Amino acid sequence: MKILIADDDALSRRLLEKTLLRDGYEVISVADGRQAVNCLSDSDAPRLALLDWMMPELDGPGVCREIRQRHDQLYAYIILLTSRESKEDVVAGLESGADDYLVKPFNVDELKARLRCGQRILHLEDRLVEAREEMRFKATHDHLTALWNRGVIMDLLTRELARSQRENGSTALLLGDIDHFKSVNDTHGHLVGDQVLREVARRMLLAVRSYDFVGRYGGEEFLIVLNNCDPVSAFPRADQIRASIGDRPIQTDAGPLKISMSFGVLISHDWGHRPADELLREVDTAMYAAKSAGRNCSKLARPSDDTRDFVPAERSSREPSS
Amino acid sequence: MDSPQSSASASVNLQELLNRVDNDRQLLHELLSIFKEEFPGNLRNLRVAVAAGNLSEVAKLSHTLKGTLSNLAVAAGAASAAALEHAARSGDSTRVQAAFSDFDKTVAGLISEFEACLAEAHPS
Repeated sequence: MKILIADDDALSRRLLEKTLLRDGYEVISVADGRQAVNCLSDSDAPRLALLDWMMPELDGPGVCREIRQRHDQLYAYIILLTSRESKEDVVAGLESGADDYLVKPFNVDELKARLRCGQRILHLEDRLVEAREEMRFKATHDHLTALWNRGVIMDLLTRELARSQRENGSTALLLGDIDHFKSVNDTHGHLVGDQVLREVARRMLLAVRSYDFVGRYGGEEFLIVLNNCDPVSAFPRADQIRASIGDRPIQTDAGPLKISMSFGVLISHDWGHRPADELLREVDTAMYAAKSAGRNCSKLARPSDDTRDFVPAERSSREPSS
Repeated sequence: MDSPQSSASASVNLQELLNRVDNDRQLLHELLSIFKEEFPGNLRNLRVAVAAGNLSEVAKLSHTLKGTLSNLAVAAGAASAAALEHAARSGDSTRVQAAFSDFDKTVAGLISEFEACLAEAHPS
């Protein structure tokens, strides 16, 4: 484990370095408080630190205060190691944000034991962060496909619409529904249906840019938000995404299945930047128009009543089997 | 193993010092080399600060020396440095002069004592 030693006294520094190296630590040494703050602010910063109190540039308690003001990093366990031994100093040191306090000259066994305490605390923190991240992921993602869940994709859509309105740009909404998905479930069972949903999600993610959003909107419905999307190329791009779903069979436990999707497509710029729920109603209508037009195609939602067909020339070769 | 009990110095507790470095005589040599290099300069700076009545500097330097000497198991020297630091923080120049004089006497010949220690504690 990495550990930082900050001490302006070369002799103390060397003694600590050697003691900790012998105990298996990876040691980084600095001679003043400012260097200590910089080191503890690195992306790959040590999580354990032994700080002297009196140092040039910034003293040990000053380092603690600066580090504790930052909340964007993993917790660093800090021990003040100093020859200031009054109770007032101990209290002031701990109040500055140090986790522990040791008086020089240190006893080697005590120092090692206190560092092991620090490691236990850091391990506990890691487990808490891991649990929090897992909960955060579960709260924001669909458990089956690992796409954004409905609540999050709606929030992202609202945010993107506001941004494109502010910047006079355009956002494309793609609402897609797997064709004849019910018959996949009825014929092959829900486990195979789940395999289809997962693979469709994976193909959609591969087909979009890293900064676009893909979410599971409902059972077999997916919402894709193409950010900052050029209105002219939005529809062809949307249809490429649709084509990428059905361009080869999906391998399942029931064998390869030909799957297609129907898409409603809406370009926010065409609609004068209306609210998300209104746009969703319109794109939903366009998606049902694609279904009515024979499926495996995309329909563009337009403010006027007409909707533009977009049926790929090769569609007949990609009709779903179910 | 050498016999650390037969220390040549009344000031340096060689047994304690060897415990502190986990009986690593190579490290002991390294630490004493650092001490020999840095101590004369620190003592000189301390003397200048005392003469100039720069009590904050006296407090800082005597604090550093207190840490160094305690790391090297020189209990009397560390205690004398602590008394000097305390006097400097109290702001009493007269006490500082007296405490420095005491400290100066305590650490006189310390480097020679360490040389003797090194002779006793050959690198393993």
